[in-house]
Amino acid sequence: MSDQDISQIAHLMRRAGFGAPLEELQARAAKGYDATVDELLDPESQPAMERDLMMRYKVDWLSQAGLEGQQEEWTFRMINSKRPLQEKIALFWHCVLVTGHAKCEYPKQQSMELDMFRTVGMGSFHELLKGLSKDPAMVFYLDNCMSHKGAINENWGRELLELFSLGVGMDGEFNYSEDDVKEAARAFTGWTVTNSIPRYPYGKYDAKFMFDPRDHDAGEKTFLGETGNFNGEDIVDIIVKQPATARFVARHLYNFFVADEPQVPSWKDTPPRDIEAIKMLEEEYFRSNYNITSMLRVLFKSDFFKESTFAKIKSPAETVVGTLKLVGDFKFPRPGLDLMTMNIRYMGQDLLNPPTVEGWHTGREWIDSGTLVERINFTADQVGNINHTGVKDIIGRIGGTGSVLTADQLIDGCLENLGAYQLADETRKQLVELASSEGEIRSDSEGFPLQVATMLQSIVATTEYLFA
Amino acid sequence: MPTEISHINVQYDKTIGRGEQFGPGFNYPVFVARGQDDIMYVLCRGTEFRPEGVRVTVCTTDEEYVSTFARGINYQGPHEFNMEDGSLVWPTCIALDSQENLFISDEWLNRISSFSKDGDFLGKWEERTGSGDGELDRPSGMAFDADDNLYIVDSGNHRVQKFSKDGKFLFKFGTEGSGDGEFNMPWGITIDSHGDIFIADWRNDRIQKFSPDGQFLMKFGSSGSGEGQFDRPTGIAVDRDGVIYVADWLNNRLQVFDQDGKFVAEKTGEAGVSKWAKDKLDANAEMWGERERAQGLEREKDFWGPTGVTVDDQGRIFVPESARNRIQVYKTQSPTFAGPRL
Repeated sequence: MSDQDISQIAHLMRRAGFGAPLEELQARAAKGYDATVDELLDPESQPAMERDLMMRYKVDWLSQAGLEGQQEEWTFRMINSKRPLQEKIALFWHCVLVTGHAKCEYPKQQSMELDMFRTVGMGSFHELLKGLSKDPAMVFYLDNCMSHKGAINENWGRELLELFSLGVGMDGEFNYSEDDVKEAARAFTGWTVTNSIPRYPYGKYDAKFMFDPRDHDAGEKTFLGETGNFNGEDIVDIIVKQPATARFVARHLYNFFVADEPQVPSWKDTPPRDIEAIKMLEEEYFRSNYNITSMLRVLFKSDFFKESTFAKIKSPAETVVGTLKLVGDFKFPRPGLDLMTMNIRYMGQDLLNPPTVEGWHTGREWIDSGTLVERINFTADQVGNINHTGVKDIIGRIGGTGSVLTADQLIDGCLENLGAYQLADETRKQLVELASSEGEIRSDSEGFPLQVATMLQSIVATTEYLFA
Repeated sequence: MPTEISHINVQYDKTIGRGEQFGPGFNYPVFVARGQDDIMYVLCRGTEFRPEGVRVTVCTTDEEYVSTFARGINYQGPHEFNMEDGSLVWPTCIALDSQENLFISDEWLNRISSFSKDGDFLGKWEERTGSGDGELDRPSGMAFDADDNLYIVDSGNHRVQKFSKDGKFLFKFGTEGSGDGEFNMPWGITIDSHGDIFIADWRNDRIQKFSPDGQFLMKFGSSGSGEGQFDRPTGIAVDRDGVIYVADWLNNRLQVFDQDGKFVAEKTGEAGVSKWAKDKLDANAEMWGERERAQGLEREKDFWGPTGVTVDDQGRIFVPESARNRIQVYKTQSPTFAGPRL
């Protein structure tokens, strides 16, 4: 097994999951890259989360009645799921098909939406859009329950086209007109949710999707050039066969899994950074009948993906979850996880509560002077804690390479254990100076664990470690 | 139709409680202990990020609020707990001794704390985390026997241990497994009038019965949602007639068995508006209107997360629902007759 094999698997696991400790990377590399991709794309082949255990100890995870508990539960899943891509795809869709806690009557509705993303989100985009159109969290969030026959509310119709499927435009042209928005909104009238049971005295109950035929505008509509007595499902049928939808899905997948693209609002006029890659994904979208797993298989096995190492800035969720996986903390439910998940919020990504329906701006916009400090402080605190089992393992592995280590050996060992990271020459030079400043590095010395921990802290504070 | 005589007839009585972080109400209630007269002690598990909700609510069976005591822990970091005496992190069960002192198990601190019935902290057993004799790993259900000895379900060690009231180890039984007398993360415990011990063998989805010295006597139940099957049974209680009640957690129901473990009935919930609930609704009158307009209000009756079951000497059965912040109360009736005139 070569360093290249480990490096490629580390890259895959950062993107298709949340990273992995070195021993897992080695085991996956031994199985092979393609076999690992196939396993990730077949989550049912791996054990599900042990929800009974989770809810036994964290009793509020059963009712999902509050944002903090939901964020904890999802973070726990992301750290521990044997189906990492399932959680990653849920995060992906949460960042695209946005609902927010700030406008959610009952937090559990969003957890139910995440469950849909975990399953339907890896299947047909056609089914996903239909599910989303009937998702009570979405129907409430974008006011479709307030859209009535003869008095439409355009919110859902507009965002469905602008942010959830076609996008404003591509190749300099608009993808839809204002009339299309209105006609879509007409078609979805009558798609609503049941009146909910009030919070007092026993807590909320989930609302159900319901179709009210009396409130549905069954008249003729013209939408994207087609005319008929369309309802909501007809609108989705028309949307998914548009080239713009293929572009939209392909570009979002590329932006999330491959390399940072410009922010979504500029996509109409800004071409993709790799149009050939986008075309491959578009072709697979239509060939597979809009299947997301098929598109991901093409993506993960492509050269453009394999060559995209460190082309993305990690999101706050990826940063926190990846770090906790690495240091081996919170493998079992225990108190204190809420303090960890708060760091995702402090770094700018309040999971389940995005700032707007557009979700979060990504890439370099994750980083500002405040979030950078949060990021470095958090990761440095974690990897510098030599009581963490994952950190102990790293110290043991590096120490096992010899009784006396050079500065380069110490740095290389840390980089490998952090996930085959690479450093710019200038950064490396500074770290060599740091490692050499305290004399000989002996793995049998009392101070060795701290030397390793200090080097790990120094690496996670570099610009290079911001990237995945 | 032949005349049938059912000797076990369980009927809904009433609902107690409402969701409340402070004062009259509950916050993720997981266990009910019945004291003298009409007093009941309700153990609220709460959450770690709102530790003020972790507490014991004392009230009467007529829903008169008495007091609140004990508290959760404010922590400074994920590994920095303030483990002050009297604090609780993951409280799981209350056992009352003969003087009505409360012993509370904490499956995070591996601690047994004791309080007077007035809420004064009396003491604690020194934390004894481990798997050796007398050591604990996630203590959950507890019950005192007639001699004031305490049986503790040592869930992480898949066994039951017996202690004197001051914490001296007496004996243990059970190991990890699925055979007779073996456990998989057991939870609830009760002791019947003969001193026999019943354990909710949580991850084996069954109930096991033992003699007072830990000899296996019988078992019943299997995994599933049919009659007599369980999906992670949490709590168990036996009334004075030997009728067995099981909180069937993820099936969201109470199951009733005769003394031989034969299925008798199930209750999926009949909750109504409790006295405290009515007070809350009256204080937020718009909620009454919302209830009138709500669709599917009948779902309010259903159990959600029944985590314990307690019977009192009046034949009343108390089932706390952690996810609904309330207690559904049932009662057993005298023998009833169904069919044509005798």
